[in-house]
Amino acid sequence: MRRVVLPALAVVLAALAVYPTVASGYGVRAMLQLFMWVALAGSWNLISGLTGYVSFGHIAFFGAGAYATALAIARWHWPWPVAALAGGVAACLLALVIGYPCLRLKGPYFAISMLGLNEVLRALVSYFEGLTGGGSGLSLPTLEATIPIYYAMGAVAVAVTALAYAIITSRFGLRLMTIREDEVAAEAMGIDTARHKLAAFLLSAAGPGIVGGLFARDQGFIEPLSTFALVMTITMIVMVLFGGKGTVWGPVLGAVVLFVSQELVWARFPYVHQLLFGAIIVAVVLLMPRGVLGVLQQRYRLPRTI
Amino acid sequence: MTPVLEVDGLVKSFGGVTAVDRVSLRLEAGAIYGLIGPNGSGKTTLFNCITGVERADAGRVLLDGRRVDGLPPWRIARLGVGRTFQTIRIFPELTAVENLLVVTEGDWEAACARARELLATVKLERLADEYAGNLSYGQQKLVEFARMLMRDPGLVLLDEPAAGVNRTLLNDLLDAVRALRDRGRTVLLVEHDMKVVMGLCETVFVLDHGEKIAEGPPGFIQGDERVIEAYFGR
Repeated sequence: MRRVVLPALAVVLAALAVYPTVASGYGVRAMLQLFMWVALAGSWNLISGLTGYVSFGHIAFFGAGAYATALAIARWHWPWPVAALAGGVAACLLALVIGYPCLRLKGPYFAISMLGLNEVLRALVSYFEGLTGGGSGLSLPTLEATIPIYYAMGAVAVAVTALAYAIITSRFGLRLMTIREDEVAAEAMGIDTARHKLAAFLLSAAGPGIVGGLFARDQGFIEPLSTFALVMTITMIVMVLFGGKGTVWGPVLGAVVLFVSQELVWARFPYVHQLLFGAIIVAVVLLMPRGVLGVLQQRYRLPRTI
Repeated sequence: MTPVLEVDGLVKSFGGVTAVDRVSLRLEAGAIYGLIGPNGSGKTTLFNCITGVERADAGRVLLDGRRVDGLPPWRIARLGVGRTFQTIRIFPELTAVENLLVVTEGDWEAACARARELLATVKLERLADEYAGNLSYGQQKLVEFARMLMRDPGLVLLDEPAAGVNRTLLNDLLDAVRALRDRGRTVLLVEHDMKVVMGLCETVFVLDHGEKIAEGPPGFIQGDERVIEAYFGR
């Protein structure tokens, strides 16, 4: 398996590396967005796919990263790569502060608390107009950096996927899964579930934070409604559920399939893609609750590396 | 000698119901103890208080002379307390061997070897890589038992090990429990099957409405008037 997967991966990565030299402006932009979705879905999978703690406001970390980065660039004139990393740090700090109390909540209560976090952050950003520009948004100095941002976004997508691989094939990853499977039993077996959950939560916030920062730089303008957009959290969730929660490649597969189909359909019928998304949610939940890779894994006894 | 487990005046209430009422127990090393009583007499709550799943309202729990009440369950587990549950609690979407591996620390290869070895002792080596959720009820029970042994706990709490298990499997399980005792481990088991209790335990504690109403060898307990009354009514 390794002998097929590794060369295939190398070819894909090489192709993506030379892609901007041959592609149109639209192509590069679309691929950049795909990278963003791979990173977002992969990050959501780290906390929610593995531990079963469904985060319904994960885009809050994206938004926090976007605003931290935008402020660092616009107000303090940091170079954008440093500012984007700072966005990741800001998201991790937020995860630390919010994860400590919220990860004690079980099931739907945790999901709702995360939804609340997202709404609170959006309200705060709108309120503190002096700093963030409030509802009218925050503009960044103009800069043409689509190609460098393409590579940066790609690097984050690769890093998140590599992190997922490292976690899922480790004892740490298995322990995160025990929390999803039966938290009481995990505790009774000597697993410090609180620390494991918090660690997974921090790791799951870093990617969205950096990606949010890159998004802010790429757009050149951010405002609260589109930065803390609930629909983006839902998109991440659907991508992971479709591809297979708790697997390495499930979120990647989900992001690719859903993003591409969304682009194709959206280009022709602006409203149909929402309908399509709804239909996919219903179909996945009803027909294959484990997602595509989850089903394959169970049926063909695939290793967790897939 | 310091007892392996000492429970001293433990009280636990849920609202107006006192589930465990001033219960005291002493468990010495290398023996099998039984905990019996009618449904709702507080056996599982007592287990939960000992293992830290529930926090007792009053009283103390000492493990090898050290107070453990108030500690989180995972700490108590690491101090050498293993348990199985009344309703099986395995990790269904992990394989049988992974169910055991999550408990281990240190060297991975050694842990894998030990996990497979333990699965072999309950005759599940051929199902080691099967998802635990796909196994039969009895096999899942054995996985749970083997998982509990991964830390080699000094004190083993078993909540109804015989329930829903066929004869052959039951005998294997009982042999495994005796083997634990022979290695100096202490076992406390909740069980409704009196044949199992009488054949296995050296000392039996009887709970009724949260209170300990009797304690002694199985033969002695069987003739105790309060015990008979608790089970059959006056």
